[in-house]
Amino acid sequence: MNTLVIDTSTDRTTAGLVSDGVLVVEKFHDDPLGHSEVLPKLVAEILLSNPVIDSVVIGMGPGPFTGLRAGIAFGRAFAFARNIPWRGVSSLDAIASEINSTDFIVATDARRKEYFYARFTDSARVDGPHVALRQVVEELGIEMHTGFPTALALSALQGSIAQPLYIRRPDAYPAPKGVTFRPATAMDAVALHALEKVIYSGEDPWSLAQFKEELGAGDRYYLIALFEGEVIGYAGVMVAGDVCDILTLSVLSAHRRKGIAREMLKRMIDWSRNRKVDAIMLEMLVGNREAEPLYLSQGFRKIAERADYYGPGKPATIMRKELK
Amino acid sequence: MKSEPLVLGIETSCDETAVGIVRGRVLLANVISTSVEEHAKFGGVVPEIASRAHLEAMQPTIAGALKIAGVALSDIDAFGVTAGPGLIGALVVGTSAASGLSLATGKPLFGVNHLSSHVAVDILDNESALRPSIGLLVSGGHSSILRIGDMVSDVETLGATIDDAAGEAFDKIARILELDFPGGPAIDRLAKSGDATAIDFPRGLTRPSDNPWDFSFSGLKTAVSRYIQSAPSAVKADIAASFQEAVVDVLVTKALAAAASCGIDRLVIAGGVAANSRLRELATARATAQGVELRIPPMALCTDNGAMVAAMTSLALSAGAAPSAVGLGADSTSGLERAIWR
Ligand SMILES: [Zn+2]
Repeated sequence: MNTLVIDTSTDRTTAGLVSDGVLVVEKFHDDPLGHSEVLPKLVAEILLSNPVIDSVVIGMGPGPFTGLRAGIAFGRAFAFARNIPWRGVSSLDAIASEINSTDFIVATDARRKEYFYARFTDSARVDGPHVALRQVVEELGIEMHTGFPTALALSALQGSIAQPLYIRRPDAYPAPKGVTFRPATAMDAVALHALEKVIYSGEDPWSLAQFKEELGAGDRYYLIALFEGEVIGYAGVMVAGDVCDILTLSVLSAHRRKGIAREMLKRMIDWSRNRKVDAIMLEMLVGNREAEPLYLSQGFRKIAERADYYGPGKPATIMRKELK
Repeated sequence: MKSEPLVLGIETSCDETAVGIVRGRVLLANVISTSVEEHAKFGGVVPEIASRAHLEAMQPTIAGALKIAGVALSDIDAFGVTAGPGLIGALVVGTSAASGLSLATGKPLFGVNHLSSHVAVDILDNESALRPSIGLLVSGGHSSILRIGDMVSDVETLGATIDDAAGEAFDKIARILELDFPGGPAIDRLAKSGDATAIDFPRGLTRPSDNPWDFSFSGLKTAVSRYIQSAPSAVKADIAASFQEAVVDVLVTKALAAAASCGIDRLVIAGGVAANSRLRELATARATAQGVELRIPPMALCTDNGAMVAAMTSLALSAGAAPSAVGLGADSTSGLERAIWR
């Protein structure tokens, strides 16, 4: 029984042929991009000398989205066309199965300074897969391995996973139903001030006068998010010379982690891009674990820190996203 | 006598997972699975959501098309796939699946250009041969004017949008007017009860110094937003009608000027915006006056679909073009320098 094995979950594109538990041939190519171009070539080489395939095994990740899907789309279509069964397996489990240790983490590159990772104890996955900032995974202090899944290890795994292991949510995901956005006007100052006092209680909220001045000033764009008629978030950006500066991005805590801040941030970026500025910048309290992944995912990079920016002992990280 | 080749085409450049099957110039199946409802939740196409949906929908859509066409996958003589332009993550699902089908069956695969395919679809179930034509492509993803001498070997982009696509402009203005997504049909509906001459919105890139075939809609978008801010009590229907007139006027004027300039007497309008009733009305009137034959494929073949890819592939086969190399690469920004991938 010939099994065609495919994996595109890491920088390595792998294709192999395993026959009754024995590796016949394995081909791979290392390139973080181009999985979709490399894979058909590797498979074509394998088919030249081994035209008969009885089943397909596909590494389902976790892995960066586009490359991962190239392997799954190819493998499923191949199985469909040959009218043979296919089976999905965990790429992280395949890497772990070849590591000789009792308690360890397997981590693969998730890009954006993050790892996909899972923990294995006595040959069994006990935690994960997850995605997290590399630093966070490294700070766990557990023996860590990286690597690539081999055809033999993938084919030896039991069971079947039907869906790709994306782990990470899409870059943009649906805001909850009923959330609408509109530009803020001077009429909204009172509502925004009321919300500001709730969100930043004890953290030096803007005054009503500040809101009135901001909403009336030029070269600015303020956006508000509404849910069932209530203002639940707001954001503002201004042109400052060659760059735009995000002034605020705030969402009521009950409505966080639903993509509202992300949607507002994207609109701030779109507005800034239309102003033909070089870049868009923002400041963030150092170590704001909630906001940082959002900004990184939208292409912002840390460029500096400012001590005591938000008051004594509260430094700010300055982040910048190029728009040219 | 050998019958015409049976071709299966796959299209995944934006948010439609589409598969079409043709035999020569006869359409057998055109199946479309769309993720537009998911995108509607946040007013635009989200690439990652589109790509995930493509992977989910790919096999059911292929199987559905085979069933409707009443053929087996093993009967297919050649595969075609959109290789660009489009969203890269979305294109890759299509090219990877098509590569899998081609390698599994040993049948050739042609990577084809999405833009030229929009025009090529006009050969289906159509008596007239594809004479030299001007193609006006207007959708959420593109706004271009093409010159088609020969579909396979002589196609060029005369001009394109330098900022927003026409359909995108409709979506954005619909958002400002708080209408539904997609914005095109919503504005078309609202405009019917409005006065198109109420507001004189700017016609982008129509000065003598501008490239005569390029489009720009971002200035118009800004003008509409400014107008709404300065006249908050203006009638929405008038704004929609006047905005629509500004877009449609520029599209038709430029496409027909291109036809006159190239000495071509045939205009094919394709893309989702071709559904716009005012565009059809104005294009029909002005093309007739200029003695230009106007063709607008049926709507199911006008928006992104798989039949157009199969049609383009069919043309490539009959022209004797070589299939694409194994592992053809998707190219998100491809222009028309290649109609068929090497
Ligand atoms: Zn299109």
